[in-house]
Amino acid sequence: MKKRILSVLLCTTMVASMLAGCGSAAEAPAAAPAAEAKEEAKEEAPAAETKEEAPAAEASEEEQITITIWHQSVADTDPVKKIIEASVDEYHELHPNITIEQDGVEGEQYKTKIKTAFAAGEAPDLSYMWAGSFVKPFVDAGYLLPIDDYMNPDVKAKVLPGMLAGSTFDGKVYSYPTITFLADLYCNKEQFDAAGAKIPETWDELLDAIDKLKAAGYNPIMMGEKDLWPGMYWMDIISQRCAGNAGVEAAFGDPTKFNSPEFVEAATRLQELVQAGGFNENYLSTSYTEMVEGFCAGQGAMLYQANWVHPAIMDDAAATKGKVVCVPFPEIPGTKGNKSEFSGGSSDGYYVNAATEHPKEVVEYLEYLSEKIGTLGFQMGAGLACWDTSSTDLSALTSLDQESAALMEQGTSYIGWWDNVLSAEDSDTYKQLVAEVMAMKITPEEYAEKMSKLSPSEFY
Amino acid sequence: MNKILSNKKAITVFMAPAMLIIVVIVLVPIVISLYYSLLKWDGIGKATFIGIENYINLFGDERFIASVKNSLLYVVLSLFIQLPLSLLLAIVVSNTKKLEKFYVTVFFIPVIISSVVIGQLWQKVYNGDYGLLNVLLRSLGYSGHDWLGDEKTALMCSFIPNLWQYIGYHMLIMYAGIKSISTDISEAAKIDGANRFQTAMRITIPILKPIIQVCVTFSLIGALKIFDLIFVLTGGGPFQSTEVPTIYMYKTTFDQMHYGYGSAISTFVIIECFLFTAILRFIFKNREDA
Repeated sequence: MKKRILSVLLCTTMVASMLAGCGSAAEAPAAAPAAEAKEEAKEEAPAAETKEEAPAAEASEEEQITITIWHQSVADTDPVKKIIEASVDEYHELHPNITIEQDGVEGEQYKTKIKTAFAAGEAPDLSYMWAGSFVKPFVDAGYLLPIDDYMNPDVKAKVLPGMLAGSTFDGKVYSYPTITFLADLYCNKEQFDAAGAKIPETWDELLDAIDKLKAAGYNPIMMGEKDLWPGMYWMDIISQRCAGNAGVEAAFGDPTKFNSPEFVEAATRLQELVQAGGFNENYLSTSYTEMVEGFCAGQGAMLYQANWVHPAIMDDAAATKGKVVCVPFPEIPGTKGNKSEFSGGSSDGYYVNAATEHPKEVVEYLEYLSEKIGTLGFQMGAGLACWDTSSTDLSALTSLDQESAALMEQGTSYIGWWDNVLSAEDSDTYKQLVAEVMAMKITPEEYAEKMSKLSPSEFY
Repeated sequence: MNKILSNKKAITVFMAPAMLIIVVIVLVPIVISLYYSLLKWDGIGKATFIGIENYINLFGDERFIASVKNSLLYVVLSLFIQLPLSLLLAIVVSNTKKLEKFYVTVFFIPVIISSVVIGQLWQKVYNGDYGLLNVLLRSLGYSGHDWLGDEKTALMCSFIPNLWQYIGYHMLIMYAGIKSISTDISEAAKIDGANRFQTAMRITIPILKPIIQVCVTFSLIGALKIFDLIFVLTGGGPFQSTEVPTIYMYKTTFDQMHYGYGSAISTFVIIECFLFTAILRFIFKNREDA
């Protein structure tokens, strides 16, 4: 009898462990196409070498190339998702010998996946990378290919001035920009009007608006601090207002400067908002997605985010459609910062795997895709232009897109999201500290003191 | 048949595939991660060998120690809340006359559902605005609470779905055990005048001891390895109050990009599991001898 029980148990455990195994194995198939593609490519590589001189037309008949691309555009409202998916067929029509395989994974998971893939040598030909401190370790490790030698001068000329700087490391260009982002304050005009509040231009007006909105029964600001970075955006911009972009840049280079009255004031201001009851009640357990959805459903009158939230705000199903205006973050009188200084301005892009078998073809696709996202993405409201859009029809731009683009033109100075500027470890520390400031767990002085212990950023 | 099974070569041949799988899937990664734990490495660039420095840092790391404490608390809850409940359910269900199989299936359902789905489900239960729990409380006249957003309640609230999910699993194992007890014994007890409670305490549970030992081991190891549900529910927050070693490992490895340090934590979890299993076996063995 005992034996029978044992065998039942053994079977149960076996099934259980097999099920558990499935969880971790699930990622393997996703990586498999990349590996397969590479193997295919390897086999064909000798053939390509001998035919290098042959005309392109002949090569296209002979050589079948598969290019793999991984990205993080998965939201259905994200125009970039549509552009990438459409490019698969379009590009195959233009170049019948080239097949594009695309795979998208949600942001935080993507970060894990791409790191593992590069470490395991299974990374795709093209991969999405966040600017700054995310992509830099990959460049330093030699995983990515400088594309200077492959760039088409005609295409390069269409990139707006200065926009290649973000993807240039040690004088070598690694990628094209796509679209760029700017963080603005989004105000639900309908709720502001109903509460008799003024769209804030200064800090006092912001506090006044919070009071009025609260009195009228509205939640003033939507916040999703479960994911930590939405709160970081607030601290980023308040710090930039208090110290000025120049002051913040100086502190990135020498973090001891974080321990100064400007940054103490920034933390004090953020706590002021919390004490005024500015944020939604459950902001600590609200995620980024819930925050944006909440704002679009009218659960908050203000949202400070980058312009990638436009498609969600202007969606036909959103309660906010046509009711939202975007303005620069309010100025704080008596401080060094001003309205023309912004958070954002960096462009994420797609980077070429140094181990790719077809660098020329991959860069050609990269040029095609980057320009498509740069122009079409701008046209569809996914972000702001990094490319010459003079020949693009911009009549479909929403009022928000136009306002945001106008703000960008006023901008004199930009600082990327701080977690792209600080190292991975320091970013984590900074985001945790911001959450602690917001929950009143540490004083502004303690915050400034802890920030001064970060390591200098590699970018300033 | 016996002849084949006593042939050493045959045993080797039959064992080889299983051994190969275990070596490749279990042992090799453990050894590799052991090696990684001796490195200072961001997972992408160059790695430097630093010996046991990661481990030294680990035991001075308050955040890590707090996370170990959290997981030990969960171990205690698993052993003293989850298992007794499972046992109770198993006994009750096995005594049910009608719909016995139906109840077994119902209690087993949470085990089948993916942890991520359960996480989403409970997130909606705990939600501060429209969560089931708060709606219920408000309808009773109490004020709501941000269950997962408050440090004081987040830890307990993230443990409860875990406890709930695996009750069915342990119940099924115990139920199978109870069903395999010969009815002669309980009938004899009935004739001797034992009531149901006495039958359960004096007959069922003592006979079930080997099964309970297995459940204790599973429950303990499962509690030490807990990750997915907490990750979905709170992601370790707010303010690291729901962090357990596995979540801290994920964060150090992938968010802070300290691959070596993360590997040191995973090695710690492995050793911790081995150690606890060994202690359990020792305890059970001693009791059997006594």
